[in-house]
Amino acid sequence: MTQQLPAPQSQRIVLPPHRQRARRPRSVRTREWIHRNLFPSTAGTALTIVSVTFIAALTVGIVWFVFFDANWRVITDNRWLLFAGSFPHDQEWRLWAAMGFVFALIGLSYGMWSSLGRKDHLFIVLTGIAVILFMGHGGAAFWSSLWFLLSIALLFLGYVIARTIGHDRARQRSLLTRVILLRFAFDDAFSLRGGFDKTVPIQTRARAVRVALFPTRTGANRIVGGLLILALPLVLVILLAGGGASMRELDGFVLNLLLAPVGIVGGLVIAIPLAIGRASKLHAIKWTCTAYIEIVRGAPLLGWLFVALFILDDIIGGDLIIRTMVVLAVFTAAYMAEYIRGALQTLPHGQYEAAQAVGLSRGQSLRLIIMPQALRISIPPIVGQAIAIWKDTTLVTVILPLRELKGNADSAIAQSEFIPDRIEAYIFVAVAFWIVAFIMSRISQRMERAQGIGER
Amino acid sequence: MTSEDTASSEPAPPKISTEARPEPGTMVPERLIGQPDIITVSHVDKWFGDFQALDDVSLSVKEHEIVVILGPSGSGKSTFIRCLNRLEEHDAGRIVINGIELNEDVRNLNAIRSEVGMVFQQFNLFPHLSVLSNITLGLRKVRHLPRLDAEALAIQLLERVGIPEQAEKHPAQLSGGQQQRVAIARALAMQPKIMLFDEPTSALDPEMIKEVLDVMQELAESGMTMLVVTHEMGFAREVADRLFFFDEGALVEEGTPEHFFTSPREERTKLFLSQIL
Repeated sequence: MTQQLPAPQSQRIVLPPHRQRARRPRSVRTREWIHRNLFPSTAGTALTIVSVTFIAALTVGIVWFVFFDANWRVITDNRWLLFAGSFPHDQEWRLWAAMGFVFALIGLSYGMWSSLGRKDHLFIVLTGIAVILFMGHGGAAFWSSLWFLLSIALLFLGYVIARTIGHDRARQRSLLTRVILLRFAFDDAFSLRGGFDKTVPIQTRARAVRVALFPTRTGANRIVGGLLILALPLVLVILLAGGGASMRELDGFVLNLLLAPVGIVGGLVIAIPLAIGRASKLHAIKWTCTAYIEIVRGAPLLGWLFVALFILDDIIGGDLIIRTMVVLAVFTAAYMAEYIRGALQTLPHGQYEAAQAVGLSRGQSLRLIIMPQALRISIPPIVGQAIAIWKDTTLVTVILPLRELKGNADSAIAQSEFIPDRIEAYIFVAVAFWIVAFIMSRISQRMERAQGIGER
Repeated sequence: MTSEDTASSEPAPPKISTEARPEPGTMVPERLIGQPDIITVSHVDKWFGDFQALDDVSLSVKEHEIVVILGPSGSGKSTFIRCLNRLEEHDAGRIVINGIELNEDVRNLNAIRSEVGMVFQQFNLFPHLSVLSNITLGLRKVRHLPRLDAEALAIQLLERVGIPEQAEKHPAQLSGGQQQRVAIARALAMQPKIMLFDEPTSALDPEMIKEVLDVMQELAESGMTMLVVTHEMGFAREVADRLFFFDEGALVEEGTPEHFFTSPREERTKLFLSQIL
């Protein structure tokens, strides 16, 4: 080695005391912020006053409507109709079990690959309170509330467990190590001669048990990843298997919540080979993929849902819900494929060459080098498409004999006593859709940030 | 890395012979007399559409030889070394590397790519992988080494290029010079017999050029066969056994550094050197 090792660089620069500047007191900073941002000039001050008045009036109006004016009975009396529709009542536990599973999985994933910030906590608490209020309003919903709170608790439990595992530095831990750790944890605890050895603190024992029983970080990555891949089939199994609901009894918000993920995940799975195929050198493959994308994008989703209703019925038959899921996936795939293709084109050619020079085969370089980067670049448009298809699941009501949330809201306000309460029903539907769309958008932001480490 | 016995017995910088110059393509530096040819290129042409990038290039390189390729931009020097691991396909002529001919045969191609390491002007590190994973990727996926072995080797290589403490970082967190050193380590991980450098310091800030050249010099002293496209005349003068001068796709002149920097024969070489020195 002809050169010196460079000195390790410290991550943060700490100035010597005589060069550190004291922060100005908070009151001064607040005063300055208010001055700069609210009252910078005469025109600025006027604008501030106008907008504050407007926001205040709007807030008062909303609060007045929500708490005094609105008749929320249209929602709370139709809770079951809106949420699950014709889902059999005696199988209610299946819905809650699926919800608990999904919430726990969300918590685990968040703990594994990201962290909950203050905004997320606020969002969870506010949404939780709103849901509980709706469930408690005008009728005994003790058990439902309890189930819901349990799901929230599962979310946090999963989160905490995943965070604990996240601090584990070990990659693998053999069975023998685990057994030894357990032996240590319960050492002397059950022996008649020694009694409980008080010199080993109980926290240390608890820690040993935890390390012995929990998977390592690598293992947990695999487990949570596998659960995420299997999440949809598992939810369907929970809902349908062994005397559960039949396919046609999936209804209400549950139907939206099932259709959209199938469309999104299925779409992504079809989109990746489509995008690669469209960039292929083989003309047959290239033309097939291009034709698929152009034809599917050339007609509206409504048209394709007609296809699901009539044409696919003649060709393949099968359950209408399954046909609808296929159409949603096929439709979403065409858009996502174009986003991924765009990302593929922005990757520098040097990445392909470097992968070749390292000796990777074409398949390997696609899987290990190209696709991870392309997917990262296309996260924002893909999530945009996901949110679009989430909201488009309402179209199902328009033409198909399927009843999702919006359709069931229509039925709710068709009842004679609730005819004047249209606005309440639609506000409820809008808020329900917004909550899920907001979660998706947050997750997208987190994914971008988590992937941003390798930014060029 | 390569068979170090021959290199360590003759580690001295090339002795310059002042005998009569032989014809292009046949000259051999004294310290490498008796070494086998590891690269043989004969009558290679390369076309990009109507543009001829390489025009009847013939040369050979000895094992353990350090070759620097010079030439104005657009002269085909980059195209030439990219042909050597088939990032570009040549249209005519033969290229034989370590006894294997470069042709459409995929098995030959894979064999050659494992003999030839390449360092790019733009580093081309994989931005989504850590430094360590960048280096171990080929070892694990192509050589099928177990993770721990691959990582041990990677750390060794990072020590060799002087940045073992950066192993867990991502490429974007490193300076240009550090990135290029990681790229060198990544190429060395596959234990190639030949290293190709395509303008390895051209994208670097001036103060980072030296750290990369130092690593390359150390590599040269270890007996690696190297082909370097560069504009670093100091490196060419001190480290190279032989210089090749390309212009308009043709090999115009070759010779020892002393020959080049004191008495170049061709007018085009003189003109180029007068512009660059």
